Amino acid sequence: MSEPLRVAGLTVRYGRAIACRDVSLAVAPGSVYALLGRNGAGKSSLVRCLLGEQKASSGRTLLFGADSWTTRAAAMERTGVVPEEPDAPPAMTALDLSDFCRRIYPRWDAAAVASRLERFGVAPATPFGGLSRGQKAQVQLALALGHAPELLVLDDPTLGLDPVARRALYDEIVGELADRGTTIFLTTHDLAGFEGIATRVGILKDGKLLLDEEMESLKARFRRIRYANRLTETRTAFGTELDAFEAVRVQVRGWGIDAIVSNFDEAAFARFRAIDGVDDASAEALPLEEIFVALAGEDKGGTA
Amino acid sequence: MSSLRIDPSSATPIWSQIEDGVRRLVASGALKPGAAVPSVRDLAKDLRINPATVAKAYQRLTDGGVLTVRRGEGTYVAEAPPAMSKAERARILKEAAGRFADLASTLGVAREEAEDALRAAWKKGANS
Repeated sequence: MSEPLRVAGLTVRYGRAIACRDVSLAVAPGSVYALLGRNGAGKSSLVRCLLGEQKASSGRTLLFGADSWTTRAAAMERTGVVPEEPDAPPAMTALDLSDFCRRIYPRWDAAAVASRLERFGVAPATPFGGLSRGQKAQVQLALALGHAPELLVLDDPTLGLDPVARRALYDEIVGELADRGTTIFLTTHDLAGFEGIATRVGILKDGKLLLDEEMESLKARFRRIRYANRLTETRTAFGTELDAFEAVRVQVRGWGIDAIVSNFDEAAFARFRAIDGVDDASAEALPLEEIFVALAGEDKGGTA
Repeated sequence: MSSLRIDPSSATPIWSQIEDGVRRLVASGALKPGAAVPSVRDLAKDLRINPATVAKAYQRLTDGGVLTVRRGEGTYVAEAPPAMSKAERARILKEAAGRFADLASTLGVAREEAEDALRAAWKKGANS
């Protein structure tokens, strides 16, 4: 299988505003790539380019090796999309939409679409305009999988879903991965929900790709280190003792120091704990959400 | 395998948590030889994790003789799963001891008091 998705030196400008700055990333077959970023970080512009809806100012986006701006139709046959804003004619029911798609896609599986709608609990005969935000997203997902795509692009798929609908979506995605090994590229703010599903993570901030890394390696190197400091007179200032760990955020608390570090190492931590003046040191692993906040939040080294 | 707990936020890779978890369930007798384990698909859905991660853990467990795959039927605990090696047991014990020692020192507890607490917990565990 050829490489499903590649972004090569993508820059997107709207007048003087820059949405993406020289972004490059690649998604390997069978992987699940989660692109994270705050609102306005450039995720939507990147996705619009990928889907051939927006022309790059410079650089390219490729689906299965083909430029997604110049050869959109061919790539879309192998790609399923759940857009951020569910969009379909309001009078059409889910069944109408499935019928419509069947005429476009030679491999359309109407029975599979119907059984997904049933699992989601969406009435197939309700007009699209009469569905809730979450149900619209579920219809979009059922349709996106209707032609058994090799690549699934999900733009913030859990937005507006209640916990039950979210659970149904995870189940569907995990089932799809188990059955067909579909490659997935998604943007999301639901970091906890995709923490165990995503295999690679990208973080966009102000249009730049801050980080592009395997989930396992990211988890291995980030930690929260807490300790009380007797090294300085105030007990709460920090000095060079944290340097080896490459702190990305250090906060001074009443009881001591609370640091998020990006280069954790067991041996270095054993030495750190042994420093006379470093008390009660602990290191704990971080949920993806906290790693994201530490990297994509505003300040570096600020105090709270 | 309802007692298989996974922490997706842990720094230990999820496949390794599953591998350790299954080995422990087998070692403790909670999973008996010949017992069926959930399919990759079902366990992945249960734990809300990537099926490839479960498949990797199962593959390692199969290679290690803990699980066997019966084609077309499913995955089972081996009839004679290898006992947990001394090195593995030592590693798991050391990790847990480290967590306990950290907690005790954070609480400012003296070593004797921590050892007493461990002894009491041991007694309770042995009686239950």
